[in-house]
Amino acid sequence: MSEEKREVEIKIRELGVTFRDNSGNDVQALTGVNLEIYKGEFIALLGPSGCGKTTLLRSVADLQQPTTGDIHIQGQTPKEIRLQQKFGFVFQQPVLLDWRKVKKNIELPMEIMGYSKEERSKRADEMLEMVGLKEFANHYPRQLSGGMQQRANIARAFSLDPYVLLMDEPFSALDEFTKEKLYEDLLKAWRATNKTILFVTHNIQEAVFLSDRVCVLSPHPGRLSAVVDIDLPRPRTLEVKDTPHFTELVTKVRNSFEGGSV
Amino acid sequence: METEFKKVKRRRPQSIFQRLKNDAQWQAISSVALPMLLGIVIIILWQTQALHALFRTDTFTLPLVSKIGSIMFDIRGKLWANTLDTVKVAFIGLAIGSLLGYGVAVLTAMFPKIGSAGLSIIGAFASIPVVAMAPVLNNWTKDVSKEASVRSMVAKILVVVLIAAANMGLNAYRGLSELKPFSEDLMKIYAAPKIVVLLKLRIPNSVPFIFTALKVSVPASIMTAIVSEYFAEYITGVGRQIRENIVLAQYSTAWAYIATACLIGIVSYAILMIFQSILLRKYK
Amino acid sequence: MKSKAFSQKILKILPAIVWTIILVGAWEIGATVVANHKRTPENILPHLYQIIAAIFSIKKVANGMTATQIVLTSAQATLLRALLGFALGALLGFVFALIMKMSGVVEKLIFPYLMLIQLIPVLGLAPIVLSITGDINKSRVLIAAILSFYPVATNTLAGFKSVEKEKYDLMYIYAAKKWMLYSKVLIPASIPYFFTGLKIAAPMAVTASILVDTLQGDGGLGCMLSQSLKHAMSIYVFWLIVLFSAFVGVFSGKVMGWLEMLVSPWKRTVNAKKKK
Repeated sequence: MSEEKREVEIKIRELGVTFRDNSGNDVQALTGVNLEIYKGEFIALLGPSGCGKTTLLRSVADLQQPTTGDIHIQGQTPKEIRLQQKFGFVFQQPVLLDWRKVKKNIELPMEIMGYSKEERSKRADEMLEMVGLKEFANHYPRQLSGGMQQRANIARAFSLDPYVLLMDEPFSALDEFTKEKLYEDLLKAWRATNKTILFVTHNIQEAVFLSDRVCVLSPHPGRLSAVVDIDLPRPRTLEVKDTPHFTELVTKVRNSFEGGSV
Repeated sequence: METEFKKVKRRRPQSIFQRLKNDAQWQAISSVALPMLLGIVIIILWQTQALHALFRTDTFTLPLVSKIGSIMFDIRGKLWANTLDTVKVAFIGLAIGSLLGYGVAVLTAMFPKIGSAGLSIIGAFASIPVVAMAPVLNNWTKDVSKEASVRSMVAKILVVVLIAAANMGLNAYRGLSELKPFSEDLMKIYAAPKIVVLLKLRIPNSVPFIFTALKVSVPASIMTAIVSEYFAEYITGVGRQIRENIVLAQYSTAWAYIATACLIGIVSYAILMIFQSILLRKYK
Repeated sequence: MKSKAFSQKILKILPAIVWTIILVGAWEIGATVVANHKRTPENILPHLYQIIAAIFSIKKVANGMTATQIVLTSAQATLLRALLGFALGALLGFVFALIMKMSGVVEKLIFPYLMLIQLIPVLGLAPIVLSITGDINKSRVLIAAILSFYPVATNTLAGFKSVEKEKYDLMYIYAAKKWMLYSKVLIPASIPYFFTGLKIAAPMAVTASILVDTLQGDGGLGCMLSQSLKHAMSIYVFWLIVLFSAFVGVFSGKVMGWLEMLVSPWKRTVNAKKKK
């Protein structure tokens, strides 16, 4: 990494989350997570199920209260950031409202923010253009394929000009062809907007291809076990996947799981 | 630079209200206790005539709880005989109708082209008002028996059969056709004959749907039995007694029968729930 | 191409046509058998053409009105009450579901009683309602309302509960106010369920209203039905009412379906996933 001073966007300190399960036992979903994320960085949170990667993401989004430690985003708590509506969130399932047209779905966060009608419409059109859904603005979600629904989901997350974009396994339900197209589109949108992105995934190749750094989480108890720098040149195209360096990085990430292969 | 971090806390404090909200035991207790409390309050208001003042009525049209109770005890013999008549109609009708409905559903699942239209006709039957069906069936069953009590009974049962069949047919068909993805393909791969698919796949899959149907059919059958009693030739049954007593302005006796009708409904629903919890255990 | 699409359409409705023919055939055979064996066959099963003839007959059967006139004037009274009660019950059902959704305590308090209402026979309620309102017309409306209330309330509540956790998360992340959660997500999401409730309630309101008519002779379909059965007027009035109420029962459910399509245009679109 270059030595130039980079602005820290998210600071996670000694984060721990404990759940109580149905039989009344405490389960440690996360323990002792320390992480600094720079502005404009693309971070992948990678791990097998049960490693607490989604819990970490939800803690940043103020959807989950940490038991220990704290998180600061630009010096403020997640709650403060949330109340300023500065998060964008992309769910695993495209959480679109069936009764709203695609464009109206993208306008939803702006409606909540109280943007004027003209501004909402203008901004939504830009977002639709960005994710390539311009012709589908007046379709209803159920008329779209899964990939197109997820595009709308991403457009909505970008619409409010958030500080941080949080993505929870957004592509895991899509087929490989759709996925690869969306990778390129996501990277293009990221480059254009320079947002900080936290991207949860259980797909090693996906994590390596997309991110600047891969944070590897291990289960029982959920913890951050390694951080791997991905120094592949940008802008990346799908051909990067065929280079030996890409394969090396994938191997490196795979070997960094504690307890060897999962 | 790091000084801005606050002291690390072990667990965030919660208000009592929140803690209660998260406590499973409290949730379970309150969901029984709260409605019971409301019930007791209503009974007290009723017995102390506060309810009468509220609705501007008198103890003649709305007898006290204790009065209804004592009348129920006094006429328990008649009450029981009428209850049996109503329950017989409701449950024989329910049994025949459900079997019939299930049969049509099986036929439709196996031969969808012929069956689907039949099913929608059955569905249309369900929305025909009972008041229109009951007198027609009364006329049709005039020759069934010389005994008015028997032919009335057959007419009433037939009405219940129609209602129960429609309900079961529509629900069971969903259970027989909405199979788990690929399970039908799996059967095809093993070249299973239609009858095996039916027995091994469709029928087991439909069991929860049978209960969905019954949850609607059981109260509906009792309701239908009671309503068709109004039109029957032979005077018997809880519903008919309610009507007869209202006509004679014997409100307390009518109330005793109303209470009985409610009891029949509640008890049979409770029995259904017990059956369901036993039979559906392996589906959860 | 056009003729192919046309023939496909025919194939689609063919089973329905066959079933209709079978039903009409069965009716006519039954009517013929009855006509050969009974002295007054029109009491048991008249021919369909006889009923149709009765619709257009200009013979005055009672009070200087034809059978059709009697049915239509009394239907006006009955259906108006049914509609009024239905609207009242649907509105209350929706509001109660909303309150139950907003407060868990209220839900626990009243939900078991909602079940009870369903198990109480309609006419059992008539004397209470009559004594409260002191007016048979008001009690007709109220009973139709009570009957419509239950399916609307339970279905709407189920609609509120069908909203996935992710949608709450979405609104939470954008720091939406509570009223926004209700107006933008919960209430629109409950609409299809609300209509399911309406589809069940509409025929019930009609049934209830006709049934209450029979309690006290004061005009209305139920009242005419009983009088016709007791041979106070032509028996064809009875058959017309039977057919009419069957039609209204089926039709009222259909109207709710159309209304739903009208208010939720997205339901009219083709589902991309189901296309293949």
